[in-house]
Amino acid sequence: MRVKLEHRLEQRWWHSAITPLAAVIAALVVGAVFLRIQGFEPLAVYRALFRASFTSVYGITDSLAIATPLVVTGLAAGVAFRMNLFNIGAEGQLYAGAIIGSWAGIALAPHLPGPLAIAAVLILSAVGGMLWAVPMAVFKAYFGTSEIITSLMLTFVALFLMRYLIFGSASFWRDPSSTNFPQGKKIDAAGELPLFGEYRTGWGLVVVVLVAIVVWVIVRFTSAGYDMNVVGSSPKAARYAGISTKRVMMMALLLSGALGGLAGGVEVAGRAHALDPNGLELGFGFTGIVVAALARYNPFGIVLVAVFLGGLRNAGAALQSMAGERVPVEVSLMLQGAILLFAIGAEIFVRNRLRIVRAAVATR
Amino acid sequence: MNNSAIVLTLAASVVAAVPIALAAFGELLSERSGVLNLGVEGMMLIGAVCAFQAGNSTGNLWLALFVGAVAGAALSLVHAVLTITMRASQIVSGLSLTIFGTGLATFVGKSIEGVPLETDFRPSAWGPLADLPVVGPVLFDQDPMVYVTIVLGVLIGWYLNHTRAGLAVRAVGESPATADSMGIGVARVRYLHVVAGGFLAGAAGAYLVLGQVPSWSQDGTTSGLGWIAVALVVFASWKPLRVLVGAFLFGFSRQLNFYLQGRGVDVPAEFLSMMPYLLTIIVLVVWGSRDLRRRVGAPAALGLPYVRDER
Repeated sequence: MRVKLEHRLEQRWWHSAITPLAAVIAALVVGAVFLRIQGFEPLAVYRALFRASFTSVYGITDSLAIATPLVVTGLAAGVAFRMNLFNIGAEGQLYAGAIIGSWAGIALAPHLPGPLAIAAVLILSAVGGMLWAVPMAVFKAYFGTSEIITSLMLTFVALFLMRYLIFGSASFWRDPSSTNFPQGKKIDAAGELPLFGEYRTGWGLVVVVLVAIVVWVIVRFTSAGYDMNVVGSSPKAARYAGISTKRVMMMALLLSGALGGLAGGVEVAGRAHALDPNGLELGFGFTGIVVAALARYNPFGIVLVAVFLGGLRNAGAALQSMAGERVPVEVSLMLQGAILLFAIGAEIFVRNRLRIVRAAVATR
Repeated sequence: MNNSAIVLTLAASVVAAVPIALAAFGELLSERSGVLNLGVEGMMLIGAVCAFQAGNSTGNLWLALFVGAVAGAALSLVHAVLTITMRASQIVSGLSLTIFGTGLATFVGKSIEGVPLETDFRPSAWGPLADLPVVGPVLFDQDPMVYVTIVLGVLIGWYLNHTRAGLAVRAVGESPATADSMGIGVARVRYLHVVAGGFLAGAAGAYLVLGQVPSWSQDGTTSGLGWIAVALVVFASWKPLRVLVGAFLFGFSRQLNFYLQGRGVDVPAEFLSMMPYLLTIIVLVVWGSRDLRRRVGAPAALGLPYVRDER
């Protein structure tokens, strides 16, 4: 007797809804084991986690503030991954976007009227991310170089570039009055995305939800989106149909890079208000991969998953400041990794079903 | 002259090459059997954090190394199950392994941040050989893991090219259907080599704390070394001896910034730190291009799941 995987002929709608849920539960169980090993009470930690992020207005708005950049990095990963193009360097594109975006915030914003100043920061940061993605896109499309490794290596290069601009030199981005602890220069107030009253979330959230809708429209209703779908599902078929796979790959990777850069702009205009290597190094780019994978690359799914993971991350910080237990912030990183692994495992059961085959009947 | 900056830099490059080479050997074994594992970075971090804990609680270096390696192997088993048995995308699964490994290692490692490691690999001189000019300090005054790594490179080359088992591995990586019809258990070979790869990646991570920087921090410990190892396998055309050479080159590029700063060369440290990453990109563009890949020896079935019914 042995167990066999078989393709499901039809997928029910609830299969795709239940997978992420099952993955989250399984990950919480695994997380509980590691929490216990480290000497924490898992149930108490999870209860505190939920309470910190999702039960008060302040908690929810804080979670949304963290979810805001995650939506865009999730979209960045999503548009590329669904074509089997693995741009895992949204983190680096975010830094590049933040560098150009904060330049715009300092140099251009004071001379522009209200909304235009904000638009300048956001648009130029997207351009920055896109430019940072150019080597990856060109090498992939024209030489077949693995975009996975180039995008990641460029992330480290961007990280060091950003550190150089703030810590290593008296650059345009550095606040000249901060000599002992170098900091980024504040962008002009005109370039800041306004917050909702006293809460930490604001118009940035509106912007990223609009961007998600735009991405959905592009993928779903435009000819460019159609080309991307064809190349994504079968490059060979695309070639027969006369679609230039190189051009489409370039386009998708550059769009992905621009979204990564926009995440940097949203951070600069909405939260950090300066090029801040310490404030920005939060791994939003990498978490974006988790967001996209859990949402199965669906733009609206990405918004929902981003809110969930934003809450998880926000709770991490809240847990640390909690009296008594002092659970490390990193618990949320571990949980999100475990959720992702289980989601991939569960995916198999959406596409296939298990059948028990008796050895005597048939093996082939 | 053995105390000159350049000789010391070369000697340090050898040490810096060890973890890159070990991790790349592991990835090479896995890829030769047809399984791409992008989880190297995650396995290295888990290996490092577990080796650190084991090192400080037992004081036994080799045991700590072994614990780190086993931790890496355990994590790679997840990848094996997901990609070989469940046929998940090797790329997505490997990426998730890195994300999970990084998260778990930072969580577990939180309690030991800033704690010094009380035991580490020390260089030991080979008597008078160590006094030879240049080669003395570079080759004959190193810690034992340097020699283990070199021997391992030779052994893996011999295993893949001159043994029956090695032939089976290559067959599975090139054409699993053919291997299957020859009676080779494709899944078994792949499982073994993915786990062996994880074992070596774990050991590589362990060496980072046991042999290089005896403390733990998630940012500083691997800083992308696992990814450099993945690129190095391509650069080395899937050949173990070339991995050794390439690892030394990367080790050197990591040491270059200390050397140049010592000489008072006025290049900002941040730019020198970018070197290994830029070097990786250049190397990949040149060696990893689509047209060259097949000619330089990429396993033909790399990245593809094997399903007998759908042959």
